[in-house]
Amino acid sequence: MNSLNNLVKNSWRTAVVLVLLLCVFPAQAVEIRFVTWRETQGFLDRLIQDFEAQNPDLKIVREIGPHSSTEFHDLVGQKFKNRDPEMDVFFMDVIWPAEFASAGWALPLDRFFPPDEQKKFLPAAILANTYQGHIYGVPLFVDTGLLYYRRDILQHYGFAPPRTWPELVEQAKTILAGVNDAQLSGFSGQFKQYEGLVCNMMEYIASRGAEVWDEQALKSALHLPEAQEAVRFVRDRIVGEISHRGVLAYQEPESLALFTQGKAIFHRNWPYAWEESNDPKKSKVAGKVGMTPLPAFPGGKSASTLGGWQLGISRFSRKPEPAWRFIRFMTGEATQKRIALATGRGLARKDVYRDAEILKKYPHFQTQFETSMQAVPRPRTPVYVPLSNIMQRYFSSAIAVRDSNVDKLARLASRDMDRVLDLLRERARP
Amino acid sequence: MRARSNPALWYILPSFLFVAVFSLYPIFASVRLSFYRLILTLPWLGEKFVGLENYRDLATDPVALHSLTITLIFVAATASMEVILGLGMALVLNESFRGRGLLRAIVLVPWAIPTVVSSQMWRFIFNDRYGMFNFLLFGDKTQLYLAPLADTLLAPLAIIISDVWKTSAFAALIVLAGLQTIPDELYEAADIDGATAWQKFRRVTLPLVRPALLLALLFRTIDGFKVFDLVFVMTQGGPADATNVLQFYGYKKTFAEGMIGYGSAISVGVFLFSLALALGYIRLLGARILEKSGAK
Repeated sequence: MNSLNNLVKNSWRTAVVLVLLLCVFPAQAVEIRFVTWRETQGFLDRLIQDFEAQNPDLKIVREIGPHSSTEFHDLVGQKFKNRDPEMDVFFMDVIWPAEFASAGWALPLDRFFPPDEQKKFLPAAILANTYQGHIYGVPLFVDTGLLYYRRDILQHYGFAPPRTWPELVEQAKTILAGVNDAQLSGFSGQFKQYEGLVCNMMEYIASRGAEVWDEQALKSALHLPEAQEAVRFVRDRIVGEISHRGVLAYQEPESLALFTQGKAIFHRNWPYAWEESNDPKKSKVAGKVGMTPLPAFPGGKSASTLGGWQLGISRFSRKPEPAWRFIRFMTGEATQKRIALATGRGLARKDVYRDAEILKKYPHFQTQFETSMQAVPRPRTPVYVPLSNIMQRYFSSAIAVRDSNVDKLARLASRDMDRVLDLLRERARP
Repeated sequence: MRARSNPALWYILPSFLFVAVFSLYPIFASVRLSFYRLILTLPWLGEKFVGLENYRDLATDPVALHSLTITLIFVAATASMEVILGLGMALVLNESFRGRGLLRAIVLVPWAIPTVVSSQMWRFIFNDRYGMFNFLLFGDKTQLYLAPLADTLLAPLAIIISDVWKTSAFAALIVLAGLQTIPDELYEAADIDGATAWQKFRRVTLPLVRPALLLALLFRTIDGFKVFDLVFVMTQGGPADATNVLQFYGYKKTFAEGMIGYGSAISVGVFLFSLALALGYIRLLGARILEKSGAK
């Protein structure tokens, strides 16, 4: 009783102490929840530390999602379906902005990210983040398909890096015949039935001068003869002649492991494979690796599928302004340069590719820049996931079976794709 | 006053509420959604009532029919093998020998491992380059190495093997429980009659353990219909849709593509199939038990 009386009597003193305490310990920092995948190269930790040091009023809370893009999509999608206000900033694969924008899940960033700023980024990456005239994400990483090859072996045989797909097959066959090593594979890529298969196959189709869809007409183009021809080429010559059947179950890690173990002559992968295959701790072929744009079909142009990761803000976030401060930091010039130097990965800002220090450390950034300027985007539409599942089914069925009826499968796939695309036409109706 | 006269109602109320909230409500919600066209990524299309359209599409969807075939093959192969293997294991575990307790525990280990973990393990075993599968079959003859998960015939087989490895122990557990209810006197009597081991198995063990076998078969069949995680980890439905089981197809439609209505129709289809199977088995089991009591 006595102590309570004292407390009430001395309440003004308590208030003074409280005010003093508040001055010493400032208001608790605002928490920004960032949904990301596990980053293994260690740059994200340091960046977040630096950001928090520069912005003491903000604290970044990381939530780690699965590494596979498909599974990450389902995690983020589930949060949106629950209208989860906890998630503020999230990583977005290059194929999601249209879907997340259309579903009303991603916040339009026009007020934060005006066209003047957008101009400083690679145009393909900006286009991928634009849907119906609004921008929904800020590109951080830009990935493009690249051809890695064993420089030492090609030199030994007097071959220049192949410019066309048939040339690549012929070179591989000559080398395989000469080496006589049953474990050596001519080519390793990603041919499992999953999203990566679409990326790989689009590169053959586009470098044959064909497309997977007609964006204007909203129609599939898979059944057209050139597109079918590219698919047959993969079935008969890439998988059929110079690769092991195992590639039909390979994603990026398995196909890269084959190459870094010295068991593949040619390898298709994203820019991150450069650092991985030249790291003596991880790779038996470090220092023997060359990199060049992907081959084309005779008369066609080299084509790389556009990949990469963007940062977006959730429509259900209660803190879009602080969230934007974090995105601006992550995608700013200084940060992108730091990430480039630390990882060798392709970034979204154009000036990264003109920076003398970066070009000195990573001469291959020149190749990366060229391929990203002509990268082929996957269909930019809110129904991309169903389209992708149809394409994955078609491509896998066409190349995993030696005598597959490509024409029939392609027509079925086109019919299914058209049915999905027809849904978009209903928009016009009131 | 009635409530007081029948307190049983109050006792079952909590469990009824539990089942209602966590089982009945989701089932009814799925059934309702399966009559609508609802696509999450196209919100402006709204939630449109389409009657039986989703089911009509499902019945003519070649991918779904192919998935159904694969699922049925998977169920038939795994359920039968698991029950036969489980019976064999149970017969061994029912004998008395030194270290039986330890062996009983060890046999259950595969079943206790989470499926996601064991699937990852089998994915490594079936790897075309460094997998144990190839090494055991071909040793260092690497030119003969197979790529099971890249082959449209071997991939379903790989999934069947993984499932049999994992859940035979579960079947064994149920059969073992059945074996332990057989009174020893029956075997003693058979011995006195001079029955051979085979005759004892055929005339005493098998008829009496049959209800347990049917029960194991029921569990494995229904569980087989729900196979998802093995496929998710090992093949993602590939190659060429060769392992695209129904539940995985439904998952992709619902959660990845956001086609809630069509995905629900697939789920309801799987549910009805399982229900029909369960009812069939229960009638069979019930008939068995009735037969037994009638014979008395």
